[in-house]
Amino acid sequence: MKKRVVSILLASAMAVTAFTGCGGGGGSSAAEASKTSEAGSAAPEASAASEAGSTASEAGSAAAASGEWSREFEGTSLSFLDVAPSDVRTSYYEGIFQKFYEATGIEVEYQSVPWDDAADKLTVLGASGTLPDVMTTWNGWLGQFTQSGWVIPLDDYIGDTASEYTDAVVNILWESEKTRYNHIYTVPDGLMVKGIYVRKDWCEELGIDLDPTKAWTYDEYFDLVEKLTDPEKKRYGASFRGARGALDPLWVYLQGYTNGATFDQEGKIQMTTDECLTAFNKWLDIYRNKWAPEDSINWGFTEMVDNFVGGLTGTLINDSEVAATLISGMEDSQWTVMPMPTSEKDGKLYNTINAPYAYTISGNSKNPDASWLLIQFLTSAENQAEYCQATGEIPIKKEASGLDYYGADGYYGVFLQEMNDETLAVPTSFGTFDFTDLHQGLFHEEIQSCLLGDQDAKTSLDNICNALQTRMDEYMAENPDAGIEVALTMNGQ
Amino acid sequence: MSANKSGGKLSLQTKRKLQPYLYIAPVMILLLLAFGYPLIKSIVMSFQDYKLSRLDKVSWNNFKNYIAMFTDKNFLLLLKNSVIYVVVAVLCQFLLGLGLALGLNGKFKGRGIYQSIVFLPWAFSAFVVGLLFRWSFNGEYGVVNDVLLKLGIIKDKISWLGTPGLSLAVVIMAMIWIGIPFFGINILAALQSVPEDIYEAADMDGCGTFRKFFTLTLPYIKPTIIMTILLRTIWIFNSFDLVVIVTEGGPANYSQTLPSYMYTQAFSSYDFGLAGAFGVLLMVILTLYALIFLKITQYDKAGDF
Repeated sequence: MKKRVVSILLASAMAVTAFTGCGGGGGSSAAEASKTSEAGSAAPEASAASEAGSTASEAGSAAAASGEWSREFEGTSLSFLDVAPSDVRTSYYEGIFQKFYEATGIEVEYQSVPWDDAADKLTVLGASGTLPDVMTTWNGWLGQFTQSGWVIPLDDYIGDTASEYTDAVVNILWESEKTRYNHIYTVPDGLMVKGIYVRKDWCEELGIDLDPTKAWTYDEYFDLVEKLTDPEKKRYGASFRGARGALDPLWVYLQGYTNGATFDQEGKIQMTTDECLTAFNKWLDIYRNKWAPEDSINWGFTEMVDNFVGGLTGTLINDSEVAATLISGMEDSQWTVMPMPTSEKDGKLYNTINAPYAYTISGNSKNPDASWLLIQFLTSAENQAEYCQATGEIPIKKEASGLDYYGADGYYGVFLQEMNDETLAVPTSFGTFDFTDLHQGLFHEEIQSCLLGDQDAKTSLDNICNALQTRMDEYMAENPDAGIEVALTMNGQ
Repeated sequence: MSANKSGGKLSLQTKRKLQPYLYIAPVMILLLLAFGYPLIKSIVMSFQDYKLSRLDKVSWNNFKNYIAMFTDKNFLLLLKNSVIYVVVAVLCQFLLGLGLALGLNGKFKGRGIYQSIVFLPWAFSAFVVGLLFRWSFNGEYGVVNDVLLKLGIIKDKISWLGTPGLSLAVVIMAMIWIGIPFFGINILAALQSVPEDIYEAADMDGCGTFRKFFTLTLPYIKPTIIMTILLRTIWIFNSFDLVVIVTEGGPANYSQTLPSYMYTQAFSSYDFGLAGAFGVLLMVILTLYALIFLKITQYDKAGDF
């Protein structure tokens, strides 16, 4: 009988530890792979590859200009991984890879992974040295990917072709990458700018006149949210984000009081002032004053958009890519876009400009030159225009962004107006260090604790600031020569 | 022929002794590879700075991961949630599963079809069940609020997933729903193996229904009940999928359990060292539980008549 008991205990123990140990098992096989990663992380080697590739870059660029593409790599096969597959994107990529094959003779094997699993999948592929040649990545992963050598620098490949890209790409995105990682690692697939989607029909009912061409403040936005709230009609003023990502728009609001920075040049966090705390409280009042549904404490992106489209909420702060969903899901008479509010402190428009996803060449690519040719093909003006119209993004090439579709009267007019605003400043990120775990946990947990009344706003803001400060101190100790991010502008000043 | 006469060959007696070990060797090797290695690896990792994205910087850090785990401000909340989650889910699954098995033990028309239907939840993936509950309990559009409002049970919509306590309750309900059939199937099988003649003898002695149940049925099915409760407790304690899918542990970790927190730690920062420490803690808790449970229930004597 004792044997039976012992066997049960052993089985139980195994069942428990297999749970965590399996992860480590993957990591173990990855140990070997780290050698590959290390090799990949060696910038000189990567640069050497880039130098070799610069020839291809020039050739490809010249060929692209004349409408023909280099067939230097004919017969080569490349692998491509998309991290955000959808019917639209998959259909686009399948078509474009066929065109690419016809133009260059290079075959592309298309793979995809659902967004929710993408970070895990790429991490495992990276750790095991089996990343595809080209992959779409998200900016938030770059800290980890560049540290591990899973992506290679593209500076030399881009070379003189930088002039083909819009100012937002060159002066904002790439400048930010250079500050944070010393190199350019990505070519954006398109651009996203934040705006405030508003129920135009509700405003008309209430006699509220909105003028998207005029700047407005956050206090005016909060007033609008309050006015649009009508419990009798089951209407709430805002699609509030309480779950993962809750801090993102709130942080930009706070950065309106810190010149767009998270840290000063000594590496000290800037959000511990009284005015930041007041702003923090005002933002959380959207939920606490019941201008947002009670459930929204757990809302993420999907719930925010669904409830705006579904008619429960009257405003939605989100990226320009959401416009595509509204175009297909709502009447034009129901919604409009307002620019993000300006800072009460200095009157500047602090707004993020992001690439939803970006093309990168992996450190495991055996043919980075052919991979670069593929990226050039995907981002050529003609293909960019087709891609951006399908996905609701703003083109990265000057030639493509001049199309009527992106004109002042188009759906994206307000977003382009924001990008051309003289006072626009793109605030810094949370830090140059890896903050993925904070973004997936502590940030929104602190906000939720405050919303539930478990702790006051000061405690929540202090806890967030302390976590970031600790991370920054560690980063600066490890990287004493690292630069400190500052807010960026379109003219590069 | 004697083994000794053939030089180095093994004797028949030795061969016979070795025979059982050779038979089980393939399974043991597989078990060691599939379970033994991860088990040891996770214990080793729990004493290391082990980040999947920084494998070039893996190093020993003594008890740093354990200190981080025990000083985590959410630790007591996670422990409390885990205990509530397991105790309520296992107890309800057992009672409802027992009722289901007793009901299905009798003969009635359409029993086969009914049996197939009530056992269906066990065949669903946790992902599907999680989504089903997530949308059903959606505060604005969920069917649960709609039904309760129409029945006049509530006056205002309830934010099931956004209220501390309720969010964990939804996860527990999902877990109960998915696990009842497992108890039902096992207990029904045990009930069907109880000999009919003891009931006939009891009837002749004038035993009532309750007395027959507590003095005859329960002792007969006790080994099955003990084993089923033990297994379900371990599985539920380790499970994190429903928590992640239904609430993502929110709001503010009020529905987070130890394994789901471990999962979040492991896959948000790829900190397998800290996740390993949580894994070791789970193993210790469950080993102690299994020992105490088997002792209290006198499993080694159960079923002896």
